[in-house]
Amino acid sequence: MAEITEVSKQKSVSLSDRQKDVIQKFAALGSLFVLISVFSFTSSAFFTIDNGMTVALQVTSIALLGIGATCVIITGGIDLSVGSVLALSGVVAALAVKDYGTPIWLGMIIGILTGSLCGWINGFVVTRLRLPPFIATLGMMLIARGVALQITGARAVSGLGESFGELGNGSFLRVVNIGDDGFPTVIFPGIPYPVILMVVIAVAVSFMLNRSVLGRHIYAVGSNPDAARLSGVNVSRIVSFTYVLSGTLAGLTGCVLMSRLVTAQPNEGVMYELDAIASAVIGGTSLIGGVGTISGTAIGAFVIGILRNGLNMNGVSAFTQQIIIGLVILVTVWIDQLRNRR
Amino acid sequence: MESRPVEPRGSVLGVATTSTSGLPASNAGFLLRLDNISKEFPGVRALSNVHFDLRPGEVHAVCGENGAGKSTLMKIISGVYQPSGGTIVYKGEERHFSSTRESEAAGIAIIHQELNLVPHLSVAENIYLAREPRRGFLVDRKKLRADAKRCLDRLGVDINPAAPVRGLSVAQCQMVEIAKALSLDAEVLIMDEPTSSLTEQETRLLFKVIRDLKASGVGIVYISHRLDEMAEIVDRVTVLRDGRYIATDDFGATSIDAIVSKMVGRSLEEKFPDRTSVPSDEIILSAEGLSRAGVFRDVSFTLRRGEILGFAGLMGAGRTEVARAIFGADPLDAGTVTLHGQTLSITSPRDAIAAGIAYLSEDRKAQGLAIKMPVDVNMTLANMEAVSNGFGLIDFGKHARIAKEYIDLLNIRTPSIKQPVRLLSGGNQQKIIIGKWLFRKSKVLFFDEPTRGIDVGAKLAIYRIMDELAAEGIGVVLISSELPEILGMTDRVAVFHQGRITGVLETKKTDQEEIMRYASGYGRRNEERHGRDH
Repeated sequence: MAEITEVSKQKSVSLSDRQKDVIQKFAALGSLFVLISVFSFTSSAFFTIDNGMTVALQVTSIALLGIGATCVIITGGIDLSVGSVLALSGVVAALAVKDYGTPIWLGMIIGILTGSLCGWINGFVVTRLRLPPFIATLGMMLIARGVALQITGARAVSGLGESFGELGNGSFLRVVNIGDDGFPTVIFPGIPYPVILMVVIAVAVSFMLNRSVLGRHIYAVGSNPDAARLSGVNVSRIVSFTYVLSGTLAGLTGCVLMSRLVTAQPNEGVMYELDAIASAVIGGTSLIGGVGTISGTAIGAFVIGILRNGLNMNGVSAFTQQIIIGLVILVTVWIDQLRNRR
Repeated sequence: MESRPVEPRGSVLGVATTSTSGLPASNAGFLLRLDNISKEFPGVRALSNVHFDLRPGEVHAVCGENGAGKSTLMKIISGVYQPSGGTIVYKGEERHFSSTRESEAAGIAIIHQELNLVPHLSVAENIYLAREPRRGFLVDRKKLRADAKRCLDRLGVDINPAAPVRGLSVAQCQMVEIAKALSLDAEVLIMDEPTSSLTEQETRLLFKVIRDLKASGVGIVYISHRLDEMAEIVDRVTVLRDGRYIATDDFGATSIDAIVSKMVGRSLEEKFPDRTSVPSDEIILSAEGLSRAGVFRDVSFTLRRGEILGFAGLMGAGRTEVARAIFGADPLDAGTVTLHGQTLSITSPRDAIAAGIAYLSEDRKAQGLAIKMPVDVNMTLANMEAVSNGFGLIDFGKHARIAKEYIDLLNIRTPSIKQPVRLLSGGNQQKIIIGKWLFRKSKVLFFDEPTRGIDVGAKLAIYRIMDELAAEGIGVVLISSELPEILGMTDRVAVFHQGRITGVLETKKTDQEEIMRYASGYGRRNEERHGRDH
């Protein structure tokens, strides 16, 4: 009989738990809708296909970095190096193309692999040298930025040619009508390649987290590393993998960003790691580990992106924007804490 | 083994058993008195009409299975929860405590099962945390140490007030907690499972301190699963079941069997199931000369088919450490492990699991389970290959089927396979861990303190499972600090003392005293004397 009451007690607890989960998801999505409707109301240029694509494009870098950050944070780690790694990867890709004459696709792959290498080193330092992730990736943040500045002499790498910009500026299904007067009119701006990339990677990583053994192990490691190890999970390999994934996505983001500017800036991406972490946290990822979803992070990235875009359109200064985004982070995490408090 | 006749009055008469000394009409002579206490949570009635009273200078035990309402009652006394109904009379005055701060100020202190100390601060700083004596803006360190020393001296324990807490043993931490309570001038001290991680000697020290506190007039509320220890210190016992008050008795006028039958609401004649498995001569696992510098040395034993082998000994004698080393969780400096005739080379838990060895850790929450994750995830975690395809993708249909299969097989009480395991009782959590290793088709299972903190009914279920596993030819090693459990369940006992096996005894031919002699390192000498006697 004792067990029966216990079970019924559990049932009521779990139900409200599930309700809280649903509320959290809807709260994030709901605030996104609120933002969109407010901005549509205050600025007529906001709710247009053109601006939608602009926002999506702006969100890609936050989202791609956020996806990596989410995986790392689920294992209970943190990656502060992505902003610097992004810059290093971008300039490596650009230098490969400009100084060594590699084809653009190969240069980009070299850039992305540079990101993977940085991630691998992060993983090595965390799992083998057993440094706290915060310190390990803080070191990498300084090192990668330093190397990027060193190899470029702190100058932007330009003159990369039109086709270097294809990945960042091209789009799929773009429909342009050349009028009688010879001026082109854009009927549909197309879906920018970076946006397609973001969607494909978000779906793939989400699938990996939810459906694969690897994903299950990532959550298990974050939930209880000791229990995972004693259940035969190769904890070091799982943790390393998440840093390599985060580094690789940083490398990819770097290539996309540099391609969009058709110039490689060694100073690009400063503080991007914080946007990435913020998007994960706004999306419900717990810094304690074991909890987090890619859909949540995507919502988080859009909240940040739309806030920036909408505030810009309403002529809010960059300083005020920072204040507002800071407050949004505090409030969402506070709500999350309330949800988890018992 | 202890088959004293069960007194029928508990289960038959229920509430009516209340002895006259349990519920007197007036408040005179009572330090604390709770009447008709009820507590409702949304959808659940955790307590209904519970009575409890405490006299100065007595130890009053509260017993009940997990979920019976003991902790809820303690939380009401200490002001964490407010009762939905009923009255609390403290020192002759009706009181409402709306926080632990208020109850503490009134002189009611609680020592939780999970100790609440700050490891990096010193003993003195912990005792006076947030109440440091000051000199202007600064902490008066001299006074802090002197005051702390006085508290510790009053307990008669030898702990340096300047020592950091992280270096102390669990027992010493408990003493620090008690000292902290005394420094608050506590008149009521609530102790939740104080002995669950103490060795025999440490328990004895704790009991001495409790007796001193009694003599100085402190009333102690004592919660424990270890009924056998209570005889030493407990004056009265109150039993709760399913959130209801069952009875209060003078401890001397009742028996452990009677208490247990009141707790479970039925007479529980067997504490241990009859063993069905019969040891054969076939050796499943043998360990030869296992050593790890500074932890254990030259440990050798064999495990036979159908046998349950006990690892007995005091805490820190090396039992857990040997099991963890065989499992690959800790390194092994020397020695060989042979499983079914094959010598194993194990460097990580992965290797051990692949070979068919499983280790059920003594600390379920810290090492056994991914506590936030659901039942099914925990059940399959050690054998994901079996529920996934060649591409590493999980077959969710099979995943759910397996989880349900083991939930049924082990009779696990859970509302669904998606229930986070932290919301289940200790017994059900333990069964999930067992299920995890059964699904892995393990050949040898090391059970490390499998029944710690688990209620009586669930214990029996775990014992039955162990017996069935042995009968099916799975090697079972039971590491336990509870000697009745060792005597009731094993076929042979390997007794550890300071990192060595001092003796392997036939369970049927031994007793608690002999095991304790070996566990304290005197076994061999006594054996020689025995030899001369015969």
